[in-house]
This record gives sequence, structure tokens and C-alpha cells, in this order.
Amino acid sequence: MANHKVTLLPANQTVEVPTGSLVAEAIQRAGLDIAQPCGGQGRCGRCAVFVKGDGARRRSTLRLSAEDIESGFALACQTVIEGDLTVSIPDQERIERRLVTDKTAKSIEVPFPYDQNLQGVRAFRVYLPEPSFQDNKDDLTRLEIALAGAGYPEAEVPLALVRRLGSVVRESDWSPWVVLEAETWNRPHGPARLIDIATDPIEPVALAIDIGTTTVSAYLVDLITGEVLGSSAEYNGQIHCGEDVISRIIYAGRDGGLAELSHRVRETIAELLVRLEKRTGVSPDHIYKATVAGNTTMAHLFLGLPPTSIRLAPFIPTVNMPVPIMAHDIDLGINPLASVDCLPGVASYVGSDITAGVLACGLSETGQLTLFIDVGTNGEIVLGTHDWQVTCACSAGPAFEGAGVVNGMRATEGAIEEVWVNSGTFEPTWRVIGGGKPRGLCGSGLISLLAELFVTGVIDRGGNVKLDLDTPRVRQGDHGPEYVIAWAGETSTGGDITLTKVDVDNLLRAKAAIFAGFSVLATSVGVRLEDVQQVLVGGSFGKYINVEKAIQIGLLPDLPWDRFKFLGNTAILGTYRALLSRDERDRLRHIARGMTYLELSADNSFYDAFTAALFLPHTEIARFPSVASIWEREAGLTPAGGAA
Amino acid sequence: MAVEIPKEKWSGTVREVTLGATREQGGTRTRTLTVGGETAMPHHAFEGSFPHPPALALEVRDRKPTDWSPLLLQAWGAAMDDPAAWAKAAEQAGAELIFLTLSATLADGKANTAANARAVVRKVLEATGLPLAVIGPGQAEIDNELIVAAAEEGKGERLLIGTCEDKNYRTIVAGALANDHVVQSKTPMDVNLSKQLVILIHDMGLPLERIIMDPTTGALGYGIEYGYSVMERLRLAALQGDSMTQQPLIVTPGEEGWKVKEAKVGEGVPAAWGDWNRRALNWEALTANALIYAGADIIVLRHPETLRRLRGVVDALMAA
Amino acid sequence: MALTGLEIYKLLPQTNCKECSFPTCLAFAMKLAAKQAELKACPYVSEESKAKLEAASAPPIRLVEIAGDDGKLAVGNETVLFRHEKTFFHRPGLFLRVKDSLPAEEIKKQVAAADAFKADYVGIPLTLDGYAIEAASGDPAAFAGAVKAVRAASKKPLILLTSKPDVAKAWLEAASGTRPLLHAADASNWEAMAEVAKAAKVPLVARAETLDDLATLTQSLTKAGLEDLVLDPGVKGPKDSLEKLTTLRRLAIKKNFRPLGFPIITFPGAGGKADDVLLAAEHIAKYAGFIVLDTFDPASLYGLLVLRQNIYTDPQKPIQVQPGMYEINNPKDDSPVLVTTNFSITYFAIANEVEGSGWPAWLVVTDAEGMSVLTAWAAGKFDSERIAKAVKTVGVEGKVKHRKVIIPGHVAVLSGELEGDLPGWTIMVGPREAVDIGAFLKAMWVN
Repeated sequence: MANHKVTLLPANQTVEVPTGSLVAEAIQRAGLDIAQPCGGQGRCGRCAVFVKGDGARRRSTLRLSAEDIESGFALACQTVIEGDLTVSIPDQERIERRLVTDKTAKSIEVPFPYDQNLQGVRAFRVYLPEPSFQDNKDDLTRLEIALAGAGYPEAEVPLALVRRLGSVVRESDWSPWVVLEAETWNRPHGPARLIDIATDPIEPVALAIDIGTTTVSAYLVDLITGEVLGSSAEYNGQIHCGEDVISRIIYAGRDGGLAELSHRVRETIAELLVRLEKRTGVSPDHIYKATVAGNTTMAHLFLGLPPTSIRLAPFIPTVNMPVPIMAHDIDLGINPLASVDCLPGVASYVGSDITAGVLACGLSETGQLTLFIDVGTNGEIVLGTHDWQVTCACSAGPAFEGAGVVNGMRATEGAIEEVWVNSGTFEPTWRVIGGGKPRGLCGSGLISLLAELFVTGVIDRGGNVKLDLDTPRVRQGDHGPEYVIAWAGETSTGGDITLTKVDVDNLLRAKAAIFAGFSVLATSVGVRLEDVQQVLVGGSFGKYINVEKAIQIGLLPDLPWDRFKFLGNTAILGTYRALLSRDERDRLRHIARGMTYLELSADNSFYDAFTAALFLPHTEIARFPSVASIWEREAGLTPAGGAA
Repeated sequence: MAVEIPKEKWSGTVREVTLGATREQGGTRTRTLTVGGETAMPHHAFEGSFPHPPALALEVRDRKPTDWSPLLLQAWGAAMDDPAAWAKAAEQAGAELIFLTLSATLADGKANTAANARAVVRKVLEATGLPLAVIGPGQAEIDNELIVAAAEEGKGERLLIGTCEDKNYRTIVAGALANDHVVQSKTPMDVNLSKQLVILIHDMGLPLERIIMDPTTGALGYGIEYGYSVMERLRLAALQGDSMTQQPLIVTPGEEGWKVKEAKVGEGVPAAWGDWNRRALNWEALTANALIYAGADIIVLRHPETLRRLRGVVDALMAA
Repeated sequence: MALTGLEIYKLLPQTNCKECSFPTCLAFAMKLAAKQAELKACPYVSEESKAKLEAASAPPIRLVEIAGDDGKLAVGNETVLFRHEKTFFHRPGLFLRVKDSLPAEEIKKQVAAADAFKADYVGIPLTLDGYAIEAASGDPAAFAGAVKAVRAASKKPLILLTSKPDVAKAWLEAASGTRPLLHAADASNWEAMAEVAKAAKVPLVARAETLDDLATLTQSLTKAGLEDLVLDPGVKGPKDSLEKLTTLRRLAIKKNFRPLGFPIITFPGAGGKADDVLLAAEHIAKYAGFIVLDTFDPASLYGLLVLRQNIYTDPQKPIQVQPGMYEINNPKDDSPVLVTTNFSITYFAIANEVEGSGWPAWLVVTDAEGMSVLTAWAAGKFDSERIAKAVKTVGVEGKVKHRKVIIPGHVAVLSGELEGDLPGWTIMVGPREAVDIGAFLKAMWVN
């Protein structure tokens, strides 16, 4: 048998190995270290190395992208030596960085060539003829004529401005600055409405707000350039009144509940305004427009509308398409005469956060069959093309946000965000946000762990912990059978970090609800999930999810990885677009009117799809061919569907 | 005019599963029971083959039940006092399989024991040459204890043992693996759950030829339609080639049918329900009969008269 | 072939005008595909699309309606072979055979007794659907007399059993004002029977032993101008029935074979030595439209009617268990009382867990319209009022000597309100997950 020379960098050692050896074996023979948290199964990608020379045959390239391979990456545990080679071993940190590249938030760009005339708010100076004994028209008529001359006949001037009119025109030497709103979507041809009048130049600014059940986000937008001057996010102050929309609806039904909830969300927005003012120097008084998205319940509470009917069959909201109101109507702390435009939703459980998301992700403009998913406490899903869109909401529960899981936590410092389990010893390794001792598991860590426990056979495909395995990591705990990820001595809490059978069930239910939503949408219109050409994932959750592992547990459909795109908070991006352009705003209205909402509780097909998905990765493993092959290799078993 | 008769051609076949082992096969049974092997929807003999008729089994308990209908007590009489005598009577009544169910408690109210399970299994094996099913009371811990003991006691007899449920299957499957038995895989009226449990059991290494599915059916008037449709769907999937649904189906209309008010009670019910005895027998028979058309391979009954009536239906369906 | 929602959508105007009462054209298209809407609701559909859609939606089995002095029965219009594929729509009629050879008074007595039969099944009244009067006497006057006697005792629809056209004519006169089913035309009498049926505008049964002959016969009858036909393939026992009725349903639905696209009538009593109750049950499940019973026995009729109700339940609705009180492990007067919803999966999870734990318990299942605990609570179907009503009406108060009720942990928020709605009861909050019930009872249930 032929031997080959392998040169190892940066150590610059050379070893000879027989044909068919693995790169990992060559590295070990040289006495060098290489991390293999998954036990050399080609799953974790941590043993990635650069190879140079023709002597490498990659057996598996899981975890490597096409560009990675192009640039010479190979997995040491999966690469067979068939000729002379040079192998450079990157340091571990470099690998980790490479694996987490998409975590840095992109700066927000103006989404299209912007011109302030694309939207309705205008700021300009008007020149009034000075009055005289010959020209003795009143101030207001004088202003109206000037506005008409600027192209805004019959402009409305609210009383609050009339009150200041006399002094401002005189102080400004009959040349005041005005801000007006030329049109809104429901009054496309005006008449214009005056919002402000001042002696000094005004730079008009607007606010885009996404009111999430958990988080409220805002962009402060310069209406001259279209740029985002600043952005900020804060927990929704309503959380104290209940964590999910149903609890809030019930809370709103109490005495004074609705008023309290309305007040709390306004306080949260006020807090954001304070921060934005601090950061940008822009006074909230110069915010002349607000565009708001939120799920239907959040929109109702924001407007002070009773949300009761949203939760009762047949789930009818008071309004899906509110007309613009004025800021002083709801006591929003921006210029009181600014118009507040709440974007249109589709149904009780598919609100304007989703229509805005569709606008932002481009689903309604593409010929490709597209699946858009926004995962939060509720998962909302849209399937369609530019021709048609169907949508549904499925209650995934908060498991993927780390809630409802014994050692779950938010994706902050101390959270285990990725896990590898060795299939021989069942010992785990993990990566912690911030790099310190772990405190718990966040959503991506939970997905990762569940996938690892499944492919290494620590749990069966039904999610049962195999207590008969020969490892102390599986045991009967206080909450039933569990797997220990970190022993008390390794954690910052001083207690074991475990995943219990009940946690597994919660995660399974969450992922099954979402996958069942996909299945039901697809069958409802008669397309196959396999035919989906792109999957767009929105929501803050989407940014950190590991596609491979999400597929392994059957949360996402088994499609080639390059069909997935992660877009972050699409709700606010869509709101931003609608704020900047009347065309975008019209498009959004069109989206809301044209989307077909499916009520999943209306028939049995959802439960059927749900129970089918309540398995790892799915009862029909044939729907997850990539997982089937891993499962087969790992478990040494014939997967379901094979012969006995 | 000549009508062209449409025939369905299926790619899948229901697996054949054999219960009981003769002396030559390492057991002591005088006959074995093979079920399954169908190649078309239930009893569509005009387009497929049905190598084995649906098997009719009778339920025998390890001790005289306290909650059975008086009509059943009348039918079996003193035989119920002794499981061996009861099993013999069931054989005489035409059963092809004795379906022995173990109680959670002994007559004195204390928890049933492995020793008792062994003794009862031994007695029944000696009393009849029919294949035997041994089923626990459905409580995980007790089931595991009793059924593992029964499995050891009946080693080599190719018993049908249960109940395997999604939350509790590993111990019983291990017992079947160690002692060469067949398991009953029981799930609550859901196609996916049925399939999932078969996958889990098979993943432990038990060959598919040793798994029988119990889809749970419900009695006439009490949800039989769900079980009925689950069975039809499982059978359609099996014939379409879905391997994990190709197990024979066992159903327990005796237990289901006699549990409900229509069968159990003679007094204080509406007059429109008619004669109690005839109604009760109809309830068990109508429940069982519907399940035959949905694809049942083993039908576990309680009343000998129902077995007689069902035998007529099975014979007619299987007639050349 | 049936079109998918998306295929139908492409034939619609796609303007989302909402005039059909659905929010979007696609929503309307999906309802059309599910046969839950009618195309005529769309005012703007093009003629071309209309033609395509109508061709795709013609019922493969004709809907045939008969009527008595009071009450109608329509059968047919079925679209599937297996109920889970959509649902079975029109329940088969169960008829009692009455012979005209009996004295009129005896007929009246028999029919009156059968007509009084009314059983209640989950609030649904179950009765016979009508009477099949048989020409057994051979005397035309007796026939007419028998029809009158039956009409005097019952207003339900009739089937008239005679193969003699002149007798049929006399009968139909006696039955005027109603729309009976005339049974039957065969190869020897069809022309005359067709004339009689056509003149009286009543549906006619075509009877032949083989499907070839049956198709020949229905084609002749169709040519003679009859549209409302019913098939009598002369089935014998269980095996023959299954083969013929399955083949007929399949020909209609899968092959859209018009000559045999009609409802079927069966006579389970004609099955020789077969058990007629069980054969009737087979005909209910497998594709009969009219079933004629030879005897009236509530002890079998009740079961058959319940079976019919079950088989024709819409399987698309969430699977529910009957609300009420369920006994687990022989509960006593000191056993715990647990409350849950009537969604089957929820019920099974709880019942199995309690059963598996070995605890005797009373399980009160409330009518939450088939939703799980959280969904029902969210939708207002599992609130304090409903739970209180269930506890008060299922009779658990008479079964236990304590006054403690355990509610699911997910609705812990209801406990305060429930104390008000169930005075005298202590409300205990159970675990959120069924799997923890055993441990909960062990720790919390003290007698």
C-alpha cells in the first residue's frame, strides 16, 4: 500500500500515512491536537482544516459551504488521504468565528432610492405678502393662499396652529417654515393638513414602530434623506400583565385593564423616545409621522380597542385596517398633530407585523414559491408567490425563547448556544455566549442539544430519554428522566444544567406546531413542501438558528441550506419601507387584502400534521432524507421505511 | 353492456405474524396462529389474497373480574373462578387465541405479583394448546414487573405480550427480545402514533414480524368511527408500501363493547333500547363486525355467542 | 377529476372583491375545492371557467330524494370511498318491510309500533326512515289498502316493492301526494315500469344480478327519460355485498361511470343464512343508500342507527370524546375528581396517565367543543362557567363525599372565579402536564 507525505502547518511537521487514512489520523500521528467534539462524526464542523494538494477526498462536507470547500476547507475527520498533502490547522477561535459569522447585525440601509416626495410629509418655507391697509386679508387667508401657491389648495390648518399663527408669521418676517402632510393612504389626493409652523427651519423626522408581544422596536427616520438616525428596542411594558397575547386579552377584560395596557405600551414607546432623543438630539416634537406595526392584539391595545373578540371563535377583531389617527388621539409623545398610521393586518392572529414582514422579505414580489416564517411566541407562516399568499398562525409556545424549559434562558451571556454530543461516550461539549461558565440554554442551544441527543441516540425518536444507556448523564430526575449537559461544578449557577423529558416534550410540541403549519399551508393549496424555492426566516430568533440542527429536529423542512435566508426583524423593516413610500404603503395594503388566512383550529388536518411532526425528525422520515442518512449512520439502524 | 371492473393493485402487503410455538419450534402449543399477509383492502378478495382469516380470540382474566356485566358472568359461569378452566371453556367456544389479561391487584386488594403472573401463565399454558396473549393491567410499573415475569415463564412459546405504549415500551420489548415473543403496540386512535410506536419498538431491534398494532378502537356509539378510520388509513398506508404500518391489527371490541352502558346495564335505561340481552350482544357484535371491515386481524371478544356470530361472518367472507 | 384550491383559483377573477362573502378569491377557491361553497356565489367568473369548474364538480353519484306525507330522505351525492378522505354525506335510510298480505288493522298496528320508536343518541333523535310495502298477496286491492293503512299510521317515506307494472300503478295512485321509491324494474318489465315511474314522477329501482346487466338496464331507463334511479344488485351474503357495493362505489367515484352512478338499495334479510343485523351493519358502512329490514327489534335497530350516526360523522371535525363523567380504576366516594376538556387527545393523555398511575379517579370531561385545555381556554370554551356547569350536571356530587375538584395547571387563573361558581367546593390546581398527575396526586391528595 502506498504511503503519502502529509505536511502539517503551522507546526511544519511531516508524517507519512498509508492511503485511505483520515486527515485527523495524520494529525494525531504527528502528535498534534485537533478538536473533535462530535467524536469524529462529521457533524460539528469544529475539525475544519485547510488542505492543499490533490490528495484529499472529502467524504462528507456537512457544515461546509461551497465557498468553504472552494477556499480549501475540509473536515479532518471526514477527509481521506489519497496523495501528498499540506494541511494547515487553524486555531480554534478562527473556526468558531467562521461558524458564527452571521451574528453581526447589518447596519440598516435605505432600502430603495429615496426622495422625500415618495411620502406625504413636506417641510418648506412659505412667503406671505405682508398685510397693508390695501391688503387687509386675515393671517389665515394669507397662509392659505401661500400654501395654495405652493401646490396645496384647501389645506387644513388645525386650531392649535391657528392659535400660534399670528405670532409665528410676524416673528418669521412673514416667511414661516411649515410642515404639512400632503396626503395619507386613505386621502390620496389630499387635502393637505398642516402639522407645524415655525420661525426656524425644521428637519422633519418620522418614527417606525414594531410593537411585539415581548419587545417594542423603533427606528427614528430622517424624512429628507430616508436614513435611520437611530434605533432602539425595549421590552414591552405589558409583560407584567401577561406573557402572551391571550393573557393580555384576558387582562384587558378586567376593570381598567384595557386602559392600563394601552398606557403601558405608550410608556414603553416614551422610554424609546427618550433614548432616541439622547442618541440623536432630535426632539420628539419634530416627529411628524409614525408608522406602526404589531400583531392584531398589540394593535388593538395600542389604539385602546377592546381585544376580547380576538380570542373567541370565530376570532374576529374589531379592525384589521385602521385609518390614520392623530398622535394626540392616543397620547403618543410625538408631535401631537402628527398622523399615526397603523399598518393593516389580515386576521386576529396574523397582524401587520406579518404583512410588513412579507413586504420586507419580498415574498409578494417574487415568482419563486416562498415560505416566510416569523417565529416568536406565536409562529406565523406565509406561503406563496407574487400571485397568491396563504397564511396561518400556530401557537408554538415560548420554548424556543428559552421559556417553559427548566434550564431555559434568553440568548444572553451565559447561555449555551451550541452543543455537541459524542456518540460513543455521550459526553457533551458546548459553546457559551460570552465564553464564561454556562447558566442555562437559549433557543439555539436547545435546538442544538435536541438534535445532538437525537442523532446520538440519547433520546429515542419519540423524545424519550433512554435511561438504560451506560452513562451517568441520563438519570431519573425530579421532573422525570433527564440528560445532564453540565455538572454543578461547571456552571455559574452551581446546579446541574439538564434537559428533562418534559422540556423535550415542550420543544417537540413547539417544533411540531410550526412544521404542521408548513404542511397544512402547503396541502391547503396543493403544493409540496419540497417544491419551496426559498425559506425566509424573520424574527430575532431567526438570526441565531442553526439550519442544520433545525432540520435535524424537524423544525424546518429538509431543503438545501442555500434556500434558507435569515432576515432578522422583518416587521420593523417592512414598517420602515411603508413609512418611506406611498407605493410601498399601497403594496402593503394590497398584501393585507390579498392574503388568505387559514384558521388552523377549524378542522382536523392540523392535528394530523401536528402528531405526524411530533416525532424526530418526523413520523415520515422520508421527508427528511438528509437526516435519515445521518440517523442511519449514527444509530447503526435501518431507519423507518427500510426492510426488517 | 360489459362493465370494466376496476381493480386496485397495491405495492404493499401486510406482514405475516405468527403467535404460538409448537414443540418442534421450541414451545408447547398444539397449534399456532398466523395473521396478516393481506394484499388488498379488508376482504376485497376479488382483487387480492387473504391467506389468513381474521382470528377470533376470547379474553380470559387471571381472576374473576368484579366489574364485568352480569350477562358475561352468566355466560361463563363457574369457569371464571379459575383461569385454566376459563381458557379451556374459551377454546371450546371456538377461540383461536387466549387473550389473558392480568389484573393490577390480587383478590385481597394487594398489588399483583410476578409470582402470581408466572403461576397463571403456567396454568393456562397447561390447560390449552392454543397460542396465548398475556397483557398487563396498563400501569407502567406493574406491567413491566408482571409481563417480564410472564415473558420468562413463557419463554419459547411465542406469546403476544403487552401493553407497549409510547411512554412505556422498552422493558416489555426487551422481554420479548430475550424470550422470543411478539409484542402488542398500543396507541390511542391515531395513525401517526401507531406508526411512531412501531418505529420505536423496531429501533430497539425487534423484527417487524414480531409486532402487532393495537390502534385502540372505542365502542359503537363511543367513538368507534375514529378507530375505524384510523384502521382504514393504516391499512391503506400499508398497502401503499409504508413499511411501518404493515403490521397486523389487533382490536378489543369485547372490552370496549361491554364497558358501555348499552351493554353493561339492564335497568334504568330508555325503553327504546330494547331487550337488554339481545342489545348487549348486538353491541359487542356490531362493534367487532365494523372493525372486521376496517382491517382487524385479531378480534378479542368476551361473549361466546358473539364469537359464534362473528365466526359466521368470517367464514362467509373467506368462502371460496 | 377534483381540482386543487390553487387550480380553481387560477380560473377565478383574482380580484378579491369579497362579493362571494369570502375574504379572498383563494379562500373561495379552497372552499370550492372542499365542496363547502358553490360557484354561483362568484358574480364575475367567466363562462369558460364556469364550464371547466362545473365539469369538475358534477356529483359522481346522483342524489335521489323520496318523500312521505311528512319527511324527506335524500341519498347519494357521495364523493369518497373512505370516510376519512372527506366525509360520507347522506346517511342511508333504514326501512321496515311490511307485507300487504296482513289485514289492514294489523299493518296499522305494526307500523304504529315501529313508528313510535325513537331513541336519543347524544341529543340526536334516532328513528326509522320509512316503510317498504311488499306485494305479497297478489291482490291489487290489498296493495292499495296496505299503502293506505301504512299512510294512516305513519307519515314517513315509502318504498313500494312490486315487479308488476299494473300493481305499481294502482299503488302509486294510493300513494299520491308523496314521492315513494318504486322497486323494481328488471330486464323483463323495465319498459312498463319506466312508464309508470315516469308518469308518477317517482324514482325507480333497477334490479339485476350482475353489474353488466345492471348497467344495460340503467342505460335503457335513462334513455326512456328516467333520471332518478336506484340500483339493486341483488346482494347475497357479506362477501357478495362487499364486492358488488365496493365495485359500484368505485366505478362511480374513480371512473365517473355514469350508468352506475346511483344510490344502492339492499335487503340484508335476503342474505340466506347470514346474520341479518350484521349484514345490515356492513351495508351501513359499505355503501348502501336504502336498507330494508325484515324485522323490527329495538335491540338491534338502536345499535344499527347508532352505527349509521357514527360512520356518517364528519371526520374533519376535531376528534372529541363525549362530555360526561368517566370512571377510572373503579373510583370510590373518596377518590379525586379531575376536570379536563373533551378533545380526544387531551382526554386520552389524562385518562391513560391516571389509569397508569393506579389512582382511582373521577374524570369530568367538559364540552369544550373538542379543543385542548389551552386552546379551549384561549377561545373561551373552557372557562369557569363551563367547568362549574359540568361538575354540577354530570352527577359527580352524588358519587363523592368530599368537595374537591382538580383543574389543569394551565388554567390555574380560573381557580378564583371557579370558587364563586362552585360554592362549597375547594378548587385544587393540578399539574400542567398529564405526565405529572401521578406525582401530584401522591403529594396532594389526602383523604
